[in-house]
Amino acid sequence: MAEVVLENICKTYGNNFHAIDQLNLSVEDGEFLILVGPSGCGKSTALRMIAGLEDVTSGSLRIGGIDVVDMPPKDRDIAMVFQSYALYPHMTVFENIAFSMRLAGKPKAERKKRVDEIAKTLQLTSLLDSKPANLSGGQRQRVAMGRAMVREPAAFLMDEPLSNLDAKLRVQMRAEITSLQKQLGVTTIYVTHDQTEAMTMGDRVAVLKGGVLQQVDTPKRLYESPVNAFVAGFIGSPSMNLFEATLTGDELMSSTFAIRLQDAAFVRRPGLRSYAGRKVVFGIRPEDLYDSNLESGRKYQTIPAKVTSIEELGSEHIVHLTIDAVRVDSGDPDAVQDFGLASNAVARFEPASTVRSGTEIRLALDDAKLHFFDPETHLAI
Amino acid sequence: MTRQKRTHHRLKRAVAPYLYLSPSLVIIGLLMLLPMVTVIGYSFQNSAVLRRDPSFAGLKHYQAIFDDPVFWASLWHTLYFTCMSVVFHMTIGMIFALMLNSDRINPTLRNILRVLYILPWLFTAVIIAVIWRLLLEPNGVVNSILLQLGIIGSKVEWFSSPRTALHAVTFANIWAGYPLFMVSLLAGLQGIPKDFYEAADIDGAKAYQKLIFITIPQLMPIIISISLLDFIWTMQVFPLIWITTGGGPIYATEVLSTYTYKLAFSSYNLSQASASAVVILLISLGLTLFYIRYQKAR
Repeated sequence: MAEVVLENICKTYGNNFHAIDQLNLSVEDGEFLILVGPSGCGKSTALRMIAGLEDVTSGSLRIGGIDVVDMPPKDRDIAMVFQSYALYPHMTVFENIAFSMRLAGKPKAERKKRVDEIAKTLQLTSLLDSKPANLSGGQRQRVAMGRAMVREPAAFLMDEPLSNLDAKLRVQMRAEITSLQKQLGVTTIYVTHDQTEAMTMGDRVAVLKGGVLQQVDTPKRLYESPVNAFVAGFIGSPSMNLFEATLTGDELMSSTFAIRLQDAAFVRRPGLRSYAGRKVVFGIRPEDLYDSNLESGRKYQTIPAKVTSIEELGSEHIVHLTIDAVRVDSGDPDAVQDFGLASNAVARFEPASTVRSGTEIRLALDDAKLHFFDPETHLAI
Repeated sequence: MTRQKRTHHRLKRAVAPYLYLSPSLVIIGLLMLLPMVTVIGYSFQNSAVLRRDPSFAGLKHYQAIFDDPVFWASLWHTLYFTCMSVVFHMTIGMIFALMLNSDRINPTLRNILRVLYILPWLFTAVIIAVIWRLLLEPNGVVNSILLQLGIIGSKVEWFSSPRTALHAVTFANIWAGYPLFMVSLLAGLQGIPKDFYEAADIDGAKAYQKLIFITIPQLMPIIISISLLDFIWTMQVFPLIWITTGGGPIYATEVLSTYTYKLAFSSYNLSQASASAVVILLISLGLTLFYIRYQKAR
C-alpha cells in the first residue's frame, strides 16, 4: 500500500495537444480516489501515466515515495483493471488470475494457493476452469479484479471497469468494488465518466476538464460547494440548472420574474454584493425546485415556468421546463442531454405532482440552495 | 391458405437453395468430380486411354508404383519440400509480420518494407523459377556473393547437383510463398487488442513471454488454418520444380507431381500415372478432412 503523488504532471502529444496540464494530485495510502470528467478530459491518460503505459512529458510522479516517471510498468508495483478487462481468451480463469505469478516464476503450489484464496473472496471458485468467453459480464469483471489482486500491489488503477455492464449489474458491482477496496485497504485510483459512480464509490473525487484539474474533494462537498459552473453542472444528475440574471439590490432579476435573496445568501458569500447591478450566473439543482401545488413547495417563492415534457420514473417525476431566463452552458457536453432542445430547465418533482406537459405552472424554488458564479470566469462566488 | 398451397410453398422453400447452388454444383461435377472418378477408374485398367477396350487390372498399377524406388524417393522429397516450405513460410511470415506490426519501426520505412516483402507474391511460378534459375546458376549472383564472402570455396551448381538441388528448389518455394503467411498473420496481429499487451506489461512480461503467452495463442487459429492449406497446396506444386530442375538431377528433386507427370506424358503409362495421382488425391483428401474438421471444431 502506498501514497500516489502527482506533481505538475503534463502530457503533450506530438501534435502539440495538451492532454494533461499541470496536474497536481495526492492520493493518500488506502484512499479510494475517483478521476471523473467528460470524454476526452484526460482522465484515462492520467491513469495510464500512473500505470506507466504513457510517457510523462514533464512533472514528477511518486508511488510509495519512489519517483516512478522513468520506471517500466512492471516495476511500479501497481495493478490495473482495464475497461475491456483484457482477459486472455485462450486462458482459463485460473490461468488469467495466476498469469503474473507464472511470469514471476512462482511455484505451481504457491500459485494455486493464492488463486484459490482470491477466487474464494471473489466467489469465482467454481469458475476457475472456465474460459472468459463462457462467463457473464459481472463474472469477467470479477476475474479482472482477481488478476489485479493477485499481485498484492501498492495501488489499484481502474479504467472505467463497469462501463461494459448493464445498468443493474453496474449498481451491484459498484457496491462490490467499494466493499472490496475497503476490505483490502489498497490505494485505488478509479477512472469513470459516470458521475453516479464518482459520487457513490470514492472517498474523494477529482474532476477534470480539458486536461485541467477543476476540484478535488469529498463527494458531498463537490455537490454542495462546486468551485465553478463546470463542476456544478457535471456533478449531479440531472445537471444543475444555470441561468444568467441581474442582481438588483437583494433580488435576481429576469425580464418576467424576480427571486428575492435572503440576507444569509450575502453573509455566506461576501463577494456577491460586488455584483450589484451586474449580471451573475445563478444555479439551482433539480431537487431544489418544487411543484408549488404540493405541500413541499408551498413555503418557497415561485417563478413562472412552462412544462415541456415529463418523465415519470415512479419514485419521482423528472419535469422539463422552460423559464424566462438565459441558460448558461456549464461546459459539460452531457448536460445538453438533460435539458433537451425545447426546455432550458429540469426539475425533480414528487410523484404526487399532477403537472401536465404543455401547461403553465408556478415553480417553487428553495432560494437557500442557490449557487452563484461569475458570468465571465464561471468561478463560484 | 389451403393445405395444397401450403405444401407447394414449403416445397418451393425447400428446393430454392438447391436451385441457387445448381450452377456451381454442375461445374464442380463436370470439371472436378468427373475427372477424379475417371482417373480412379483408369488406375484399375490396363492401357487406360491408349486402348479402346482396356482390361481390368486390379491393384496391379498400385503394386507397380509401390515397388518403384523412384515413387518412394518422390514421396520423401514431397514431404521434405512441403514440411520445410510450410515451416519456413510460417517462420519468415511471422518474423516479417511482427516487424511490420511493430510501432518501433518508422511508418515510412514500414510501408516500404510492406511492399518489398510482398513482392514475391506478385510473381507467377514460372517467373519465380526463371528468377531463381538465373540467380542460382553457377555464374549467377548468389555464387558470386558467396564466393566473395568466402562462404563457399568454388562455384556450386545449386540446381544441377543432386546434393543441393532439393534444398535449392525448396528455398525458391519458401521465398515465393511466405507473403501469404505474412499478410494473414499481420491481419491477425492487428486484431489482437492492445490491452492484452498493456496488461502483460504491468504483469511484468518480457517480449518473448508476450510472444509465447499472448501473440502465438491469439494467432493459433490463423496459424493452423493457413498451415494446413499451405501443406495441401505445396504438396501439389508442379511448375516451380518442373521449370527449375524437371525433377532431376537423377530424381534428386522428383516429387509426386513430377513423378506422375512423367509417368503420364513421358512414359505414356497413363494407368500407373493414374494410380500415382490417386495416391496424391488420398493424401490431399486426408489433409483436407483434417482441415474441415478443425474448421468445424472452431
